[in-house]
Amino acid sequence: MTNRILLSVGLLAAGIVGGVVIASTTALHVSPSFPYVSTTAHQFAFKPRTDDQIPKTPFGDMVRLGENIFRDPQTYAAKYVGNDLHCTNCHLQAGRLAGASPMWAAYTAYPAYRSKNGHVNSYQERLQGCFRYSMNGKVPPLGDPVLVALESYSYFLAKGLPVGEDAPGKGFPALAKPAEPPDYKRGGEVYARACASCHAADGQGQSSANKVAFPPLWGARSYNWGAGMTNVKSAAAFIRANMPLNLGGSLSEQEAWDVALYIDSQVRPQDPRFDGDVQSTRKKYQNTPMSMYGQTVNGAVLGDPAVTPPSGTVPATAN
Amino acid sequence: MLMSSQSLATDTAENSVLSLLYTIPTAGARRWRVAIVALTLAAVAVASASAGESDVAVGRMIAAQSLIPGRVACAACHMENGAGQPDVGIPRLAGLDARQLEEQLAYFAKGERRSAAMAPYAVALNNTQRRQVAAYFASLPVPAEPDRLASTPQQLARGRSLYADGDQHTEMQACVQCHGVTGLGVGQFSPRLAGQSAAYVADQLARWRAGDMRDPKGAFMQAEARTLSDTDIAAVAAYVAHLGQEP
Repeated sequence: MTNRILLSVGLLAAGIVGGVVIASTTALHVSPSFPYVSTTAHQFAFKPRTDDQIPKTPFGDMVRLGENIFRDPQTYAAKYVGNDLHCTNCHLQAGRLAGASPMWAAYTAYPAYRSKNGHVNSYQERLQGCFRYSMNGKVPPLGDPVLVALESYSYFLAKGLPVGEDAPGKGFPALAKPAEPPDYKRGGEVYARACASCHAADGQGQSSANKVAFPPLWGARSYNWGAGMTNVKSAAAFIRANMPLNLGGSLSEQEAWDVALYIDSQVRPQDPRFDGDVQSTRKKYQNTPMSMYGQTVNGAVLGDPAVTPPSGTVPATAN
Repeated sequence: MLMSSQSLATDTAENSVLSLLYTIPTAGARRWRVAIVALTLAAVAVASASAGESDVAVGRMIAAQSLIPGRVACAACHMENGAGQPDVGIPRLAGLDARQLEEQLAYFAKGERRSAAMAPYAVALNNTQRRQVAAYFASLPVPAEPDRLASTPQQLARGRSLYADGDQHTEMQACVQCHGVTGLGVGQFSPRLAGQSAAYVADQLARWRAGDMRDPKGAFMQAEARTLSDTDIAAVAAYVAHLGQEP
């Protein structure tokens, strides 16, 4: 009897100790007093080369130009850029951060077939899409120095990665379906609480010394209706892993879905593939429940030309 | 009791620097002090009541005159021109965003940002007076005074790299993302760092890293500071102190 009690106490104690060990292992990554859940995509990922390893050669010059374009496209690729976004706004840490669509993982994923345009795309063709949609600009021709420089920068970052397979950390970490359907009203509350202090209550971002610091999330100076970010699932995955900046994982999955729906239910520039009719354009290019294009929000149809800024406005004008 | 001893421990360094500055010796000064406080409160009340007085003018009076028995005026530490005392880590307030300054005073008052030095001042001021004194310091031109802490070229180079690019090995986000290329900050959200006291910036980063109690937005800086070594804190603090001072 006594032995059995001792055994039970012993097992209980072992359980407690085990629990403590597990808790302290977790604490290696996350301070328990801190509302922050590190996403696994950010750990164990490939570490690309740093700027001080850029060679002092003509190739190195193209890498540097590519990084400059990446950080400040309004200055270094002005004639192709139609809004206030920087590549680094989504591809965090200048395209180096795993789980934030790093350029090293993108580079080794191409050439690749894309259903978006129905053929195998080269890396430069993929970059063209960024300018057309995310940057709401004009497409640089293949071989243009802007594309060559961005390709050189990506190639430099990807050195050492195997090609032909997805690198861990590519894109955004997959996000499970939400427990409840994403909700505009809840999303607005999340936005006001967690996003507005940087991106502003009206979603138009904020500047420091006339340089955009926090990018506009909707409106005429943000990504257009053809951009990948208009897919609520993609936006939710990006937000969950990376936003608010430095506090990725602090929003719940449900909150990430809700606020992504809220952001992607706002007015933004027209899809450059617009054929004159919103529903027809939706059917051809955006026929997914994850796109709010053509849907009615607050009594207005998203994409309605009467309230939708034009696509492809270049060059960007300072706001 | 536990709270107050923790608070004392946390603020020991701050106290050791500031106690010399803000404590008026009491011997023989009690009568004067009472008179000064009475006059000051009367003056502020009159000024507040005067419809024509701007926030800046009233704020200047608040800054210049002691409101609390045994404690010197704002200007004794932060200086009348708002330059602060960079070498001992007392921050420059001149030219900072008025809403930010007002907000920080509210955080000090509520204990959401812990500072043994600032809390009594923040508590002594009402909402209107906080707005006024914030307006005064915000209205002042940024003094073109170099930081008095020595820094090495290596420190400045490392600081520039952290500020502009972050550190991909620790996944530290670049400071530039929130504070801007020129370090002027963004509206009410992120303060101007250009030309701020290196000692103050380093002290704040160390406090964030230690998990010291901060304002609600402090979560951003806590995450940032947790990636920084002492060497990197010194480097990035030296860099921002020099921002805007290059020829």
